[in-house]
Amino acid sequence: MNYSRHVRATAGDRVEILAMQIFVVLFAFLCFMPFWMVVVNSFASERVLSQDGYRLWPSEFSLEAYKYMLSGLQIYRSYGVTIFVTVVGTTIALMSTAMYAYFISSPKIKHRQLLSFLTFFIMVFGPGLVGSYILIANWLHLKDSLWALILPYAFNPFFALIMITFFRGIPKEYSEAATIDGANDFSAFFRVILPIAKPAAASVGLLYALYYWNDWWLALLYIDNDKLYPLQMLLRQVMSQVNLGAYIQGSQTNYAQAVPGLGLQLVVVCLTIGPIILAYPRVQRYFVKGIAVGGIKG
Amino acid sequence: MTECQVKRLRLFWNNRYLYLLGLPGLALLLVFGYVPLFGHILAFEDYRLDKGIFGSQFVGFKNFEFFFASGDWLKITFNTIFLNFLFLVFGLGSALAVALFLNEITTKWLKKLSQSFIFLPYFVSWLVVSMMALQMLKSNGILNQLLGLFGVEPCMWYMKPHAWPTILTVIYVWKFAGYFSVIFLAAITGISPEFYESAQIDGASKMQQIRLITLPLIRPVFIVLALMAMGRIFFGDFGMIYGIVGDQGMLFDTTDVIDTYTFRALRQLGNFSMSAAVVFYQSVLGVVTILASNAVVRKIDADSAMF
Repeated sequence: MNYSRHVRATAGDRVEILAMQIFVVLFAFLCFMPFWMVVVNSFASERVLSQDGYRLWPSEFSLEAYKYMLSGLQIYRSYGVTIFVTVVGTTIALMSTAMYAYFISSPKIKHRQLLSFLTFFIMVFGPGLVGSYILIANWLHLKDSLWALILPYAFNPFFALIMITFFRGIPKEYSEAATIDGANDFSAFFRVILPIAKPAAASVGLLYALYYWNDWWLALLYIDNDKLYPLQMLLRQVMSQVNLGAYIQGSQTNYAQAVPGLGLQLVVVCLTIGPIILAYPRVQRYFVKGIAVGGIKG
Repeated sequence: MTECQVKRLRLFWNNRYLYLLGLPGLALLLVFGYVPLFGHILAFEDYRLDKGIFGSQFVGFKNFEFFFASGDWLKITFNTIFLNFLFLVFGLGSALAVALFLNEITTKWLKKLSQSFIFLPYFVSWLVVSMMALQMLKSNGILNQLLGLFGVEPCMWYMKPHAWPTILTVIYVWKFAGYFSVIFLAAITGISPEFYESAQIDGASKMQQIRLITLPLIRPVFIVLALMAMGRIFFGDFGMIYGIVGDQGMLFDTTDVIDTYTFRALRQLGNFSMSAAVVFYQSVLGVVTILASNAVVRKIDADSAMF
């Protein structure tokens, strides 16, 4: 009797498990759909796009929008800005964050409790829009400077937390052994701790890189010169459709040529998310690790 | 100098390299985190660019009176709380479901592929999302094409403010279900398999196992995440709302939140004092909710508390 109940339970289970599986696969499909639509329709001709909207499989293909975008200068300028900000920003941010995390997790530091309160409180609370704006625009004179896109994000306490959690897991003996051997904290950190912390540094570095790559808030506030726009703002500009031809192609604008506005939006999206999608299969696990460690607090 | 001071100084000098390591982070934190707090002074001034913070006229609570008299405060406060509440409930709820269901997929490649797809939207910016949303929702967009199959007339979604809390919630779930499910999955993976083995011996069904083992054991994670979100309930997601809705005044009634309101006051109207007053109002409410939620989290699970 016991046996038969067991069998009945698994039969019921099978239906439920199948339902759960179907649900989640369907949801995954829905999550992916917009990406598919954007990529496949970026190769559709302008005529089809304005007539039918997006289709799962466009009825007419064309590279016109890509050619138009890549023949102008702005896309290269925007790529340059985004890459510069991401590379320089991630480097500075990762270094300052890792060093700070080591500093604040050391038992030798006085007032650690207070320091960590100050560190995390301001991140949840936010520095306040108006003060930040006056500081960066009027006091530091960083308007239309790429540093305005880098410095405000160069230290993120949430990402520091991931490093701190990781450093706590490293046995104290490592840094102690290094300091006994006559190394100061500086060389102990760079020679001993940092090499051990490589996996955490990869997670935090990639989180920073994504943050910089996707940001447009700072550009919206502090960049008025549209030639200095990062990719994200180029996308915004293309969506607003004002003087598109002159903006994208500059002095070589051929006003007789129709601007493929709808296609351009898709092209910019694809060029913006392209590098992320290409890197995604290889970097996904670092994000998963970082978020699983620090995500609760973020 | 007293002996104690000398001792303290020597201790500081001995650890000078350690302090040097912390210096860049600390400097960035102070300059970009704490210096801007001066901005709150503007809330009590009639700020003029030429006179600066310390030269402008002090006007007391006049900026606040203006803000509260305008009636905008009720609208944007309600929208901020209401939208954040929807995001919290449906965002965490769907992420929990996704995590539980993903866990039931035994085919390895299918599980991996599903998780990758669900996590993917987290990696794109709100402007990209906005562009995708526009294409879905415009008059000949996918949504209207689909509705057309069922004989429903196409709808101008950007003229229908009442549909937008739902639309934004769907977009939020799409973007963050994967992110939060990563956290839930990590918690589920941490559960000892022995619990499930003994439950199976006792003849518990899959649903019973989920209800009686998985859910109770990951409940603290869920509660902590929810409390963290509650702490920030007065802070709207600027990137999301401004990215998707932008300056379409038609939709402000249901979508304008405190953060988009202060942005417009600052960047489009150039009214620094008004913007500062609203930011100050938000900050005061924010301090209360953040400290309260942190205190509750500390009681439940001290390790998860922020401070």
